Amino acid sequence: MTTPQPWTSRYRPKNRGDFVGNEQAVEELEKWIRSWRKKTPKKRAAFLYGPPGIGKTSVAQVLAREHDYKLMEVNASDTRNKGSIEVTLGKAVNQNVTIFGQRRMVLLDEMDGLSGQQDRGGVSAVSKIIDQTTSPMILIANTIEENMQDRFRAILKKVKSIEFKPISSAQIVSKLEYISEDQGIQVHPDVLMEIAMKSNGDLRSATNDLEMMASGKKIVSPDDLAVIGHRDRLDSTPNILNKIFTSRDFREARRTINQSMIKYDDLYEWIYENIPIVLDDPYERLEALEALSRADIYQKRARTNDYRLLKYFFDLMTGGIAFARKNSKGEGYRDQLTAAIMGAGFTPSLISTINVPEGIMVKPNRWLGKDKWAKLNTSLRGLGASWVYGKNVWMLPYYREPQAKWRFIRTYHARRRMNSVTRRLATKTHTSSAKARNEILPLLRHMIRSNQAIYDDLSTWMLETPDKKLAHLRYMSFAKKPSDFVSLENYSKYKQREMKKMIDNITKETETDLRNIERWLADEKKNASWSK
Amino acid sequence: MSGGMWTEKYRPQTLDDIVNQSNIVNRLKTFVAEKNIPHLLLVGPAGVGKTTSILALAHDLYGPSYRNYVLELNASDERGINIIRDKVKNYARTAAMASPVSFKILIMDEADHLTGDAQHALRRTMEVYTKTARFCLIGNYSENIIDPIQSRCSVFRYGSLDEVDIKDRLTLIAEKENLQIVDEGLDALFQASGGDLRKAINMLQAASANGELVDDISVYSLLGSIRPDRVQTMIQLALDGKFLESREALRDILINQGLAPEDIIRITYREVMRHKSLTEQMKVRLSDIIGEVDYRLTQGARPEIQLSTLLGHLSLVGDETM
Repeated sequence: MTTPQPWTSRYRPKNRGDFVGNEQAVEELEKWIRSWRKKTPKKRAAFLYGPPGIGKTSVAQVLAREHDYKLMEVNASDTRNKGSIEVTLGKAVNQNVTIFGQRRMVLLDEMDGLSGQQDRGGVSAVSKIIDQTTSPMILIANTIEENMQDRFRAILKKVKSIEFKPISSAQIVSKLEYISEDQGIQVHPDVLMEIAMKSNGDLRSATNDLEMMASGKKIVSPDDLAVIGHRDRLDSTPNILNKIFTSRDFREARRTINQSMIKYDDLYEWIYENIPIVLDDPYERLEALEALSRADIYQKRARTNDYRLLKYFFDLMTGGIAFARKNSKGEGYRDQLTAAIMGAGFTPSLISTINVPEGIMVKPNRWLGKDKWAKLNTSLRGLGASWVYGKNVWMLPYYREPQAKWRFIRTYHARRRMNSVTRRLATKTHTSSAKARNEILPLLRHMIRSNQAIYDDLSTWMLETPDKKLAHLRYMSFAKKPSDFVSLENYSKYKQREMKKMIDNITKETETDLRNIERWLADEKKNASWSK
Repeated sequence: MSGGMWTEKYRPQTLDDIVNQSNIVNRLKTFVAEKNIPHLLLVGPAGVGKTTSILALAHDLYGPSYRNYVLELNASDERGINIIRDKVKNYARTAAMASPVSFKILIMDEADHLTGDAQHALRRTMEVYTKTARFCLIGNYSENIIDPIQSRCSVFRYGSLDEVDIKDRLTLIAEKENLQIVDEGLDALFQASGGDLRKAINMLQAASANGELVDDISVYSLLGSIRPDRVQTMIQLALDGKFLESREALRDILINQGLAPEDIIRITYREVMRHKSLTEQMKVRLSDIIGEVDYRLTQGARPEIQLSTLLGHLSLVGDETM
């Protein structure tokens, strides 16, 4: 019997047939490796990126061996700074054949460990080495971030980027089935599915989970899921919020992150939206907001530096909120409801409000009159209530959906129109948009509402298009140089194309602005006293 | 009566037209005579003629088609480092064509709003492209401009305009526009503008829009009718303990009006400092809080959260004091 080793290394792919998922990426990488046979390709390094545990390193290792390369692995997170990278890698890339005559390939793993603030020189050192290397280089980064562009800007242009995607649950399940068969254990299909779902496409962590659960067993049943805290069942957002806002147990609150059906960023927004509704004491409210504020900062740090920091974000947005509440009863919604009822001109006794599991049921006790009723309807809708047909009651959920997104969507056109107006006003008066909007626009509005002669004059003035943007076109510069083209003729064609693109953009922008300003002016005219 | 906004209609076109700031204008005239200018840094309060004098300088230097040789950027609209990397560099590196001098002018208004990174990038750009471009930075406070930039520029400090100068200008415009304005009206305009000539002229135009005599009453009723500052409203709601309403006001400012978070915090600071019912002690405490939130804005990813936290602090302060 072989010495026991972790399943993750034991079932690591040994040859091409063992790969799971990412077929296209593998093919692309193999094609690139083959291209080295003839001559040094234009892109001397391949950059594999994607979330952890999906086989990036394994694929590189297996393909290197199958194509008869001696793989030299360098872990970027050990040799972090510029100097040490140059020393370690510099040697490797210049001697492209080992003393036994085997060709060399360099694997630079954990590139993401390179991009911290302290070792900025790291990426540029790697970039230089790519320029010089005579051996194929494979770079690997655990990243799926949008800001990858920024981090690896220096090298992205010179490398062949290959994306590795999370592995599908079905593929993970079948791999796990293979492993359990090989180990001679019986695992309930639900367990495999649960592990696969939980892993988010990370085959390595799924393998680890299975190993942990199966240790010392021949049969694994759904009950064993508890071993690794997989009992967490997904829960609806109101229930999750309930737990976060009422829990007295940090671990219970913290676990909601894994139980939530929505993404943690969305959960964060839900919490933020509901803090002032649940916490009516100003001190407790502030404490909760402070926790979210610091959580936000941790998340940003996690994004820009190290994902390790994400756990503090989770801690603060769950535990931080749970312990902010001391005396508040979470009756904020009732207060708002009372305010809405009073605001519509009713005494609270005219309307009954009943707590039910889904929220607060709001029901008029008698006919209330059309106008006041309409007013109440508007404010209830504003609070997020909905009318239940059939039952003829309003239902006000205990938690309010995050509003900021809606506001963005609702105000899209108004904002665009306003931007055009202030941009034009700012250019014309040589000020910033902020000043134009806050200081000049209110006065301008006052003027054009005063009388028609002034309206006519100022609207003509606003609609005159400043043409200086076009004048600056002659100073525009071009991304490509003449040397990038076969002939100068092609270069000048390229320049003309770019110029035309630019002019078209500016013309289009100006037209949109003009339309928006016209609409704004028409609206103002409608509101002006002189036009009535 | 025609010709658009009076601030533009009556903006001095040439250096000779500028009657105030004579020390500075005379120096600028010598630059024109020599057909050469250094990098400039113009600092001073709002509405005293900083932009006007640099536009006039460009006019005198390049002639009526000066707009072709001048790029105006406003740092408070585009304050990050990318603007320096892209727009400024592209503009700065090509020579001026068919012009009396070999360089172009790049005006960076509200340069004190540029981030530190952007200023450092600018500093290199200024040096490298001196041959083809001269930079003219304009701002209210020189302390927000990093020293290396200040040392590369000739610094001109604009004093505030005298009451007489502002009133003379307003009277001149009133004459040309056939307005009737009385001394009380001039006094009120001067008071309300706080020495900002642009604001004074804009208010004159608005106050006279109904075609009647401009006096103190018409000026103050104008001020009353243009809606109160929304940031002020937001702060007051928070201090009154109406947190939810103040958060809605914040969203209105942030999303509907599109005011930048940095600007909101700046205005909030100003308003809190001159708030009448807050004690001195409270103001010191709030300064600390606003400072912390200002810093967190640069560190976090969600400006609304950070600003909401500030509102939370304000409503706690309001709860304790009122």
